[in-house]
Amino acid sequence: MRANVWSGRNTVQVENVPDPKILNDRDAIVKITSTAICGSDLHLYDGYIPTMHKGDILGHEFMGEVVETGRGVSNLSVGDRVVVPFPIACGNCWACQHELYSVCENSNPNWGMAEKAFGHGTAGIFGYSHLTGGYAGGQAEFARVPYADVGPIKIEDDLPDEQVLFLSDIFPTGYMGAEMCDIKGGEVIAVFGAGPVGQFAIASAVMLGAEQVIAIDQYDYRLQMAVNKAGATATINFQEDADIVEQLKEMTGGRGPDAVIDAVGMESWHGHGAIAVMDRVKQAARLESDRGLALRDAILACRPGGIVSVIGVYGGLMDKFPTGAFMNKGLTIRTGQCHVQKYLRPLYEHVKNGDIDPSFVITHRLPLGEASNGYETFKHKQDECVKVVLKP
Amino acid sequence: MSDKAAITINLPREEVQQRWTSSAPEIDGDVTFKDAPGDRGTEIHVALGSGGGPIDKLRGTVPLAKAKDQLRRFKQQVETGEIPRSEGTPEGESVGRKFKQRPAQPLEESELEKAGVR
Repeated sequence: MRANVWSGRNTVQVENVPDPKILNDRDAIVKITSTAICGSDLHLYDGYIPTMHKGDILGHEFMGEVVETGRGVSNLSVGDRVVVPFPIACGNCWACQHELYSVCENSNPNWGMAEKAFGHGTAGIFGYSHLTGGYAGGQAEFARVPYADVGPIKIEDDLPDEQVLFLSDIFPTGYMGAEMCDIKGGEVIAVFGAGPVGQFAIASAVMLGAEQVIAIDQYDYRLQMAVNKAGATATINFQEDADIVEQLKEMTGGRGPDAVIDAVGMESWHGHGAIAVMDRVKQAARLESDRGLALRDAILACRPGGIVSVIGVYGGLMDKFPTGAFMNKGLTIRTGQCHVQKYLRPLYEHVKNGDIDPSFVITHRLPLGEASNGYETFKHKQDECVKVVLKP
Repeated sequence: MSDKAAITINLPREEVQQRWTSSAPEIDGDVTFKDAPGDRGTEIHVALGSGGGPIDKLRGTVPLAKAKDQLRRFKQQVETGEIPRSEGTPEGESVGRKFKQRPAQPLEESELEKAGVR
């Protein structure tokens, strides 16, 4: 089959590789009909996530048709149309039974490797480095799906791929980011990053009853999408004024947002001054894996007693974490790779009911063979790119 | 120096002990079982005799590293019914694979048997 493989920093290419095979009884093979490039794939592309190997197949947002099932998979049949969640989860361990699927205790066969980096292993993830298992990804014609009796959701109506594909990651991820803000009504929520996950965090915060949602980004076209499609009530373009903390305070009568969502992660770009320069130099020299500008400002801007919700991906260590602000303001930080399996059904219902059409983020549709162009366009935000969908 | 390792299995103690006895993981040390607090299942604690030298450590042949693999594989097998395999680590958790990953792309037919798939 053909698959998009990582072959070094800033290099991906579509190559011929062997077809996937059933390796365990609970596996299924899916013929992929749609797949996407995630903002977090750019962290791999840019070379900031450790334990990538030449030849790794990328991609963790995909859907398709079941073409083969292992003996232990009785809930799926050949021909079923499924969306596959990006974390691989066994459904049996304590974490899975408490709906903490992205920290499944069994699905990462490189647990020992992850334990060294994070203190504990976390769930396996498709196409996302060897620290999360070394699983082949879904930017390909076919993929093997382990624990297929737990993860995939059957799509039993005729909704087009583009409306359900993002149940695999970015819609639930954005939703979890908003849910972690404990929205009860009347809140002001600030969202750092108006990329695809940020857009869904904004839309979800609105759905959950936030009164005001402030979108923060450096690209006007993304901020316009945040207002026109996701429902943001105000925006900050930090290219025009980099002092995000002061602007957020001013916009909230000095209080600061009740909760702040970091939908940026380890490669944030805003800010100048000594700390921003230090971050860039240290990350370039591989002395620090995570640039923390968005997270630092989220902590400084959040109102005392508020919540900082981190769904942007971090990979290692960052410097200058504002512990003083974090502690003295009595903040709560909530984090995590999304427990997608928990959100699949309720969010699928929202899509079916027409509460949201997640395809609004798509700006580019390319054949799989042009994956490399897709990565470049997405990385450099060319052609007002927000989301790239690939068709195998 | 005594090396210790521990893992928690999401099953009642009686069942864990029974499965341990019938599968007999190759661990050379003292093994004790203990109820974990609340609904957290059963703790398995292993105390080993010696730790191995630095070369062993690199090769992944130290008893502690091997014991940790065994504990993890036991947990995976009894909780999920299988040892999860990725394309990078097709044999499932093993300390030796940490240093020699396959690329994360499907195996050739010829590799399946070696990985223990068939």
